[in-house]
Amino acid sequence: MIEKKQQIINKLGLHARAAAKLSHLANMFSSDIYLIYDEDKVNAKSLLGILTLAASVGSEITLQATGEDEKEAIEAIGGLFDRKFDEES
Amino acid sequence: MLRIKGKAVSPGIAMGRAQLHDVIREVVLAESIGERAVEREIWRLENAVKKSRAQLKKIHLGLQKIMGKDAAFIIETQVMLLGDSHLLGEIKETIKGKLVKAEWAIHSVEKKYLEIFRAIPDLSFKAKSNDVSDVLNRLISNLKRSAPVRAAATAPPGPVILVADDITPSEAATLMSHKRLLGLVLNKGGETSHTAILARTLGIPAILDTGNATELIASDDTVALDSVRGEVIVQPTPEVAAEIGGKIDKFTLYKERLKELSQLPELTRDGHQFHLLANIELPFESEIVQSYGAKGIGLYRTEYLYLDSKAGISEDEQYLVYKKIAQNIFPHPLVVRTYDLGRDKSESARSPREENPSLGLMAVRRFLRDREPFKTQIKAVMRANASGNIRILFPMVTEVEEVRAIRAIMAEAKKELQRAGAYPKRDVQVGIMLEIPAAVRLIRHLGNDVDFFSVGTNDLIQYLLAVDRNNADVAHLFSPFHPAIVHILKEIRREADRAGKEVAVCGEMAGRRLPALMLLGLGFANFSMNALAIAEIKGVFTRIHYSRLRRIVSRLEFFATRGEIEGFLRTELEKAYPGLLQESQGSA
Repeated sequence: MIEKKQQIINKLGLHARAAAKLSHLANMFSSDIYLIYDEDKVNAKSLLGILTLAASVGSEITLQATGEDEKEAIEAIGGLFDRKFDEES
Repeated sequence: MLRIKGKAVSPGIAMGRAQLHDVIREVVLAESIGERAVEREIWRLENAVKKSRAQLKKIHLGLQKIMGKDAAFIIETQVMLLGDSHLLGEIKETIKGKLVKAEWAIHSVEKKYLEIFRAIPDLSFKAKSNDVSDVLNRLISNLKRSAPVRAAATAPPGPVILVADDITPSEAATLMSHKRLLGLVLNKGGETSHTAILARTLGIPAILDTGNATELIASDDTVALDSVRGEVIVQPTPEVAAEIGGKIDKFTLYKERLKELSQLPELTRDGHQFHLLANIELPFESEIVQSYGAKGIGLYRTEYLYLDSKAGISEDEQYLVYKKIAQNIFPHPLVVRTYDLGRDKSESARSPREENPSLGLMAVRRFLRDREPFKTQIKAVMRANASGNIRILFPMVTEVEEVRAIRAIMAEAKKELQRAGAYPKRDVQVGIMLEIPAAVRLIRHLGNDVDFFSVGTNDLIQYLLAVDRNNADVAHLFSPFHPAIVHILKEIRREADRAGKEVAVCGEMAGRRLPALMLLGLGFANFSMNALAIAEIKGVFTRIHYSRLRRIVSRLEFFATRGEIEGFLRTELEKAYPGLLQESQGSA
């Protein structure tokens, strides 16, 4: 299992579109992937789950992956956060 | 007879039979199944997903026909949820694990998520729970073999006025694109604007936020809907019904005259020029405002762009939106007002809770602290100005320092764009809103740093009179005819002239007959309003003589009370132009 802390830097936070991109990406990996925010832990492969975090800009999220491709998964998803979900120039 | 007040979100008058729409939620029972039935339940679920997907697609196409590409945002989240394999997986797991029918599995998953969403303080996320319910209920109703979509989502039998507690985004879309609705009355409706936008676009009179209309109206009651007054009249007396009938005729006439009016020059009878522009909130509105007679967009409120998760807020996305609107309205001007965030309750929980938001960290104040989104917006506006008709407007300015800080950010933005080779030849003109009395007092100084002013009358009245018009206990004190308002408007006109700067009026006053006439008489010539008010105001303005109006208005400053001011104005204008102020729109 590996973990990585990730800050949300896109202005709208994990809104529907960003959440859809995130869950879509997570589903491409076989590892179990979770997002942990405060007390809440949700499956990163679930769009609805991500939405329930209501994580806005500035929040710190922990990515957690367990499985064969955990390293690649964390890298790819971390990258999506860093690229602000490709929604800002 | 009974009158119910509400928020008129789409103009028009209608009368007809009420049809109460109870939210027909499928009654879902916890039916257990044997292990061997699991496969079958999952198959039913998958079928329902397919059906639902097809239905949403159809709704989307229907919307696209009437709204253009922007239609997507109304059901986009639902389409995404339906495509969420994890959500479906969760439902399937529930079927398997608890051995229940698909209906119950969906129901319990919905319940779980609604509870989670309920606890979220951030409204922009909360709105999503509507979407979750909407799409999951669609699934449930599609589980039935013959799958009649929920009663509400089918066309009502014959022309009726639909009365409901609230309707979901997809219901609103389906119901309204069937053109069989005479009108719409909802208990709720404040939370999402989808219904309002649709009603307006399609010309269906709608009164929302009535609180308890469904308790006061029964199916088959005769109901009249007067969205000029924001009123629903239940079982009108014959006299009132006749009056409403007259209004409907006049409104029809008015709509016919719209076209005619929009061709008229913007001149009073004695040749004094005025300009009428539209306020818009959504990009697609820019495609229709000219047909209402608008000669430009005097106020584009960009908050929606910011709050609506669909539009995102990247510079590129904003740039495209502004450019498109500017092109739609070209050669007329487009005034883009930067985000006025911070006071609205729809605002995200990002801002720490403030005791007194309307005196707090809002609009320009907020952005001078958190500059990046502000600069992004400014850059997008600058880049979009290739056609040269864009102006930028900053709200809630109270001091010269703010304007200088804004100017400094604009200079940076310009430099950055120039370096990237993305700066068009022309600078955008810069204006500020006059809505806090302090800014009015500083016009002569502010005038050195800006190109134009725009008066936001609603806030100006609120801040000058210390009245929140949404507070029922004091709303009656909110009046454009308060002597202090008349004085401050005079001051604005005088000081702006002295500073040699243009000044427009973009609050609600500009779109109502008597206040608009007062403004014209005070010397204001640029008005921006709800597009639907333009024809009416134009009809009134083209009927009067500016010189005469000016004489009447010049006497207002001698009165000490709002009663006298309003009374005098009304009497004198009625005397000079009989019928000018009659509320019925046809008389324009």
